[in-house]
Amino acid sequence: MKKLSMDDRLAINKFDSADETPHIIVNCLECKSCTHKACLYACPAERYRLNDMGEVLFDHVGCLECGHCRLVCERLYSSSMGYSWNHPERGRGVIFRQG
Amino acid sequence: MSNERFQVIVVGAGLAGCSAAYRLAKAGYAVLLIERGKAAGAKNVSGGRIYSYALEALMPGEWHDAPLERQVAREMLMLMTDEGAVTVNSLFSQELQAASYTVLRSKLDDWMRKKAEEAGAMVITGVSVTQIIMKGGKACGVLAGDEELEADIVICADGANSLLAAGFAGKVSTETAALGVKMVVGVPEQDIQDRFNLAKGQGAACLMVGGCTKGLAGGGFLYTNKESVSLGIVVDSAALKGSQVRVVDLIEQLPLHPAIAPLVKGGQLLEYSAHLIPEGGIGMLPTLYGDGFMIVGDAAGLVVNSGATVRGMDYAILSGIFAAETAGKSIAAENFSASELKHYEVMLRQQVIKDMKTFKNVHAFMKSTPGLYTTYPEMAESIFKNIFTVDGRPARRISKVILESVRRHCSFWQLIKDSIKGGSAL
Repeated sequence: MKKLSMDDRLAINKFDSADETPHIIVNCLECKSCTHKACLYACPAERYRLNDMGEVLFDHVGCLECGHCRLVCERLYSSSMGYSWNHPERGRGVIFRQG
Repeated sequence: MSNERFQVIVVGAGLAGCSAAYRLAKAGYAVLLIERGKAAGAKNVSGGRIYSYALEALMPGEWHDAPLERQVAREMLMLMTDEGAVTVNSLFSQELQAASYTVLRSKLDDWMRKKAEEAGAMVITGVSVTQIIMKGGKACGVLAGDEELEADIVICADGANSLLAAGFAGKVSTETAALGVKMVVGVPEQDIQDRFNLAKGQGAACLMVGGCTKGLAGGGFLYTNKESVSLGIVVDSAALKGSQVRVVDLIEQLPLHPAIAPLVKGGQLLEYSAHLIPEGGIGMLPTLYGDGFMIVGDAAGLVVNSGATVRGMDYAILSGIFAAETAGKSIAAENFSASELKHYEVMLRQQVIKDMKTFKNVHAFMKSTPGLYTTYPEMAESIFKNIFTVDGRPARRISKVILESVRRHCSFWQLIKDSIKGGSAL
């Protein structure tokens, strides 16, 4: 089986993600003070990335909606100011065809 | 739609929700099933095996038409090291009443949705329920978009990642959840039969322990579907967070492992998915019901890890049946209070909760015994390697080879401690 990059792997899935408000919101400035940044290694779709400024960026397109970031991130888990986790609305987001 | 009044609203068209809606509609109740995905199953993922006794309980005989993949005939347990594996591989002929099938949820859930609809349930998809409407402490409907929908009873079937049930039940956490990550790999039907030594229609189920999680609590799984293979890992959430292991590395390396690579050779990735598994067991069992509501399936954490199998889908179906029967009873009595809905928990206690109690220490044992994922697979590999190694040096008795392998990997004291711990938990 051929090894695929994350982008290629996600491109095989079906998504309906418009450029509207993301279903998960993190505050990239606040994230700077997080000591573990578990989102970077615990997200199976690698949707969390660190930029040159040390800020955590989240890309909701390609999110598999497993909810694991909500568990490993205390701020998402407790819905602190600037952080929220929701399911995409109106059937948006990932559409599993195998499951 | 807001003028229409439903007796029961079911939130979530997975196995638990569809089962509840199907049973209620069959019994003639006005039931609305609301699914947030574009279709039933669009948001659902499972490892891939369902036990058919639950389907038989839900719809006797009719489930034979369900889109199931293969009937499991071959059970495999793979003790994995980084480079090799010791595999126990057994072929059984299954009694039909104890049969299990590999399954792909997007197909099965949509079929279940169709059965519920045919039975008379109203189903809407692509609609998110954001809140359960409470009046005087009793659930009496749901908020879907900006529409208020009323009902006598609300059944929360919104899954492992439930935001609705969380209000009553307490949220799933790193301590009570595992993360599953899966690839569905397209492999031609005949190749599957050849590679796993199966007849047409027969399937294989393989559990992996060891190298596939880099020593973290968890394991790997492989299920053969008709024309694809479901291959993935399950890893304890707290262990993963504490380890700083990249979960993507685990799933990327799995199909490259020498024991797995030939099985998915030439395969095309069809889907990459991930899902939470509530693994806390009886210890995290939430409020299961209250005034006007019941919580079913993964949302209620009804999953059992026996050490050899992780079961959730059959319990989801059973809980859906029990919730439907309880709702029917409560509607007949025109009493929607917690004291009436307690019947649901009574039914669960006889079967599902009973199993959860039986295995109540397994999760803790598996989390607190790192040797299971490192030392013991390595020990097994070394025993097998040494037993079968012939290199012209003076031969040794098997018992001596085994003792030496054990001694090299861990102390007898550790082995005895783990055996006692495992013996009482498993």
